[in-house]
Amino acid sequence: MANTHPHSAAVASPRANRGTPLISMRNITKSFGSVQALLGASVEVHAGEIVALVGDNGAGKSTLVKVMAGVHGYDSGEYEFEGKPAKINSPSDATAYGIQTVYQDLSLCNNLDAVQNLFLGRELTGPAWFGRRLKRAECEVRAREVMTRMRLGNLSLTRPVGAMSGGQRQNIAIARSILWTPKVVILDEPTAALSHSAAEQVSTLIRTLADEGLGIVVVSHDIHHFVVKSTDRIEVMRLGANAASFKSREVTGEQVVNAMVGGNESVNLAG
Amino acid sequence: MAHAPSPPVALGTQPPKRRTFSELLATDLRVLPVVIGLAALWIFFATQSDVFLSAQNLSNLLLQSTVVGIMALGLMFVLLVKEIDLSVAAINGLTAVLMAKLIVEFGFSPWTAVGLAIVAGALIGCLSARWMTFVGVPSFVVTLGLGLALNGAQLLLLPPTARYGLMGTGIEQIAQTRIEGMWSWALLLIGLLIYVGLTISNAMRRKRVGLPVAMLTGLAMPLIAGTVLGVIVIAVLNSHQGVPLLVLIFAAMLGLGGYVLKETQFGLYLYAVGNNDEAARRTGVNVGWIKMAAFAIAGAVAAIAGVLAASRTLGVGVFSGGGVGGGTLLLESIAAAVIGGVSLFGGRGSVHAALLGALVIGTVQNGLNLMGVENEIRLIVTGMLLVLAVSIDKLIEKATGQQAF
Repeated sequence: MANTHPHSAAVASPRANRGTPLISMRNITKSFGSVQALLGASVEVHAGEIVALVGDNGAGKSTLVKVMAGVHGYDSGEYEFEGKPAKINSPSDATAYGIQTVYQDLSLCNNLDAVQNLFLGRELTGPAWFGRRLKRAECEVRAREVMTRMRLGNLSLTRPVGAMSGGQRQNIAIARSILWTPKVVILDEPTAALSHSAAEQVSTLIRTLADEGLGIVVVSHDIHHFVVKSTDRIEVMRLGANAASFKSREVTGEQVVNAMVGGNESVNLAG
Repeated sequence: MAHAPSPPVALGTQPPKRRTFSELLATDLRVLPVVIGLAALWIFFATQSDVFLSAQNLSNLLLQSTVVGIMALGLMFVLLVKEIDLSVAAINGLTAVLMAKLIVEFGFSPWTAVGLAIVAGALIGCLSARWMTFVGVPSFVVTLGLGLALNGAQLLLLPPTARYGLMGTGIEQIAQTRIEGMWSWALLLIGLLIYVGLTISNAMRRKRVGLPVAMLTGLAMPLIAGTVLGVIVIAVLNSHQGVPLLVLIFAAMLGLGGYVLKETQFGLYLYAVGNNDEAARRTGVNVGWIKMAAFAIAGAVAAIAGVLAASRTLGVGVFSGGGVGGGTLLLESIAAAVIGGVSLFGGRGSVHAALLGALVIGTVQNGLNLMGVENEIRLIVTGMLLVLAVSIDKLIEKATGQQAF
């Protein structure tokens, strides 16, 4: 099902027909001391779908994805993965379920090359008595496969990533997240620091992943250029709860921004 | 998995291009300025003194560089993880005195005493790392304080005469042993065979999984360069009493260090932690453990250097470990690593930095000695070279527009 361009299918058919969502979070609450960060937030992520989480600073979108990624626990609500209650208490639990996160700072080591970054923490190595010698060649082949699949075949695998452009680094961070064939990828502000053309490349890459059947969650402030153009569904959050839900194709940036700030007055952020 | 029929968009901006010289200078050829600098120093001193290039003097120069070189090699592990250990010279002195005391006063066998000294060095390293990560005090402060404390301990361990002679204990044999003739060539052969074996096994692996093998730059050139250099060094040393065991120990440690840094998972983690410890932590690397291992290595290696220094000076005393405060030994060890190309800001450096840096410092000392220049001038020159080396680093960074790794 995921292979036949689920992106267009998702938009065309009503939600009920799309089967069990990969992730279903309902009425999640979370407080930090006396601060209520989430007051019953909900989100669903389906295979082959790009869901944007938008909202003003402090709206709770970051907290929600951190709960999703296992960085934070939650106080009440339901978190299901593929229809079953998910026991996610740490980032490694989330990884075990197939949920990968690309942080805004990318978490790359600038002095290492793409292969080393892709496999960091999960290197293929030889026996301990030989000092866990790195199986560099095997890693490089794997990395090459993933890069080719993502149509990033001409990115250098042997240059330190610190010598690369912002867009290339973002692409490598995304490539790392899909190296171990996850089901869901969470991206935190993937276009924030990028030029217009680099941001478009990243958008194309994210669509490629969704077309392969992954569920994508994107947290973004880039409403006009990225969210309404390159995602399937937009969940607007305000004050720790869902304020609105749009299909990206049926909405303008202004409408989304209105929902974010919670007013009906026309807000123009296009400039 | 079948792909959706989307157009084949090339995403990686430009096609693969040949790297520019400036980019190479900032990465693979990082070592070039030091090599040129060292060559310039050698040419200068060769013009100033007839004996500088004699086999006896070159052998001497290598010997003079080993203790600082070994210290720099150990310190590099700590510098790689973006920390510093200012107690290495004090560890060097304390463990050497400890070893001497165990032999002279308690009748330990030299082997046991040396082993215990190395273990003590590693434990002291662990202690500073633990204190640093557990309490959150910067390594600079922890090891500065610890260094002074260890200096005190060193003085406490010494007898009223303030000196332990090591003549006749067997320790002095280390510095006096030289390997000559056939044996020295056999050792070179063994070293080269290990190197060739590792290089070829890497190349075979690449071939097996269908990756291109750089025959010339990846296989032939390193092997030829290694062989030529090895033959020259052994030939020179053999024409003056043979290969000193000290130099052999240094070479073996360089080889082992190079393997750990370039080939093993632990080595990779040192670089990762040094550049971005948060990223390393997120991928599951135990950052605290890696840092502790780095400090333990620096401590153990400093102890080894202490034993070798004691063997050269035929005894230990207040002067061991550079004297109180670490003296020139501490400063020269740090300087050697940095001159060789190890970054003080973590994540950059390799074993040849320790070798080249120590050779630069050893050359200045040796050359100025031959010219009859006073010790004061040597300190000034070494200090200027350190600043110059880091300045060249910065200039390359500015000129190439990229941070160096």
